[in-house]
Amino acid sequence: MSKPKVGFYWCASCGGCEEAVVDLNEGVLDVVEAVDIVFWPVALDFKRSDVEAMEDGEMAVCFINGAIRNSEQKEMVEILRKKSGLIVAFGSCSHMGGIPGLANLHDKESIFNRVYHTVPTIDNPDGTIPQVETSVCGTTVELPEFWDTVRTLNQVIDVDYYLPGCAPPVNLIVGAVTAILEGKLPEKGAVLAPDKALCDECDRRESKPENLCIDEFKRPYQIIIDEEECLLAQGLLCLGSATRAGCDSICVKGNMPCTGCMGPTSRVNDFGAKALSAMASVANANDEKDVKRIIGGIADPVGSFNKYSLPASYLHRKVRK
Amino acid sequence: MGKHIIVDPITRLEGHGKIDIILNDDGNVDRAYFQVPELRGFEQFAIGRRAEDLPQITSRICGV
Ligand code: SF4
Ligand code: SF4
Repeated sequence: MSKPKVGFYWCASCGGCEEAVVDLNEGVLDVVEAVDIVFWPVALDFKRSDVEAMEDGEMAVCFINGAIRNSEQKEMVEILRKKSGLIVAFGSCSHMGGIPGLANLHDKESIFNRVYHTVPTIDNPDGTIPQVETSVCGTTVELPEFWDTVRTLNQVIDVDYYLPGCAPPVNLIVGAVTAILEGKLPEKGAVLAPDKALCDECDRRESKPENLCIDEFKRPYQIIIDEEECLLAQGLLCLGSATRAGCDSICVKGNMPCTGCMGPTSRVNDFGAKALSAMASVANANDEKDVKRIIGGIADPVGSFNKYSLPASYLHRKVRK
Repeated sequence: MGKHIIVDPITRLEGHGKIDIILNDDGNVDRAYFQVPELRGFEQFAIGRRAEDLPQITSRICGV
């Protein structure tokens, strides 16, 4: 029997998801042994025309990382959807919008203005900005249309499974690939990671008081962070109770609060709202004034609660005037 | 007008790229463009974030 064909593709991403695949180390050899990789721009020289020439459904699975924020990314994922039996949204950006999704606090005009005109390192005396079409020598050179709004993969195409994380943990990647090869996948739409909160697998959970009451949220530079005690109990904005487990709590192990890259568990639609409500539930507040003081004291709430999830949230983007 | 050759995507490197090569009637290169069809806008959306978040945010400019 011929080996199943597999593709990897990236949209608005950083390449960290490709690194996560490389982090399989020798395990990557087992994957290469079991499948035939037919598209992976970072590693192999296949072109868009090679993908277009495939039969519909020719690939067994395509792993797509990155958010969708321009017309080319939309075209590519639509082609990959047609050519692939399964689509796996790989990493926070395709799952929830990720860090590039913070651009939904702005729009195309303000981003172009900053990047091409006002950023201190720019050298652009003619004030050139990208054009979708430019005529040169009787032909047209094209660039994709940059959107006002960043979208998650499932806001653009139908997605079968999700591998969460920024970047997805190696053991979850191995688990997903094994499940696909053995045909042991859960129900369509599942997130391929444990369906429990990060606090449940955190080494510091014993020191998290049952009735935690916080008078004031602290920022990391304001305290000497104890290396054993629950970070939330120390007043830091640790989002472990709202975040899905599966990363082995690596940030907390590095003495940094969890900022929620794995997204929510299956019972939650909006990660940011859940994280905010989790923090509100530990605020030592007796009246609205206390709530305002404690929760209002959190710097940059939208960036803190939706660091990886703004496009997927009910907020989605900044309201356009 | 001569031939217009498009190399899309450029592969085996981190990032997105595309090359347009325009040949003249003699088949020699008249113009060549290296295009980066991707922008995320960190320069803009990093503004307003908590300072302690910036190491995590800017490390996602390139994760390689
Ligand atoms: S709040 Fe953070 S530090 Fe505390 S138990 Fe949960 S994940 Fe661990
Ligand atoms: S601790 Fe939180 S932010 Fe860090 S990797 Fe795990 S889920 Fe992501």
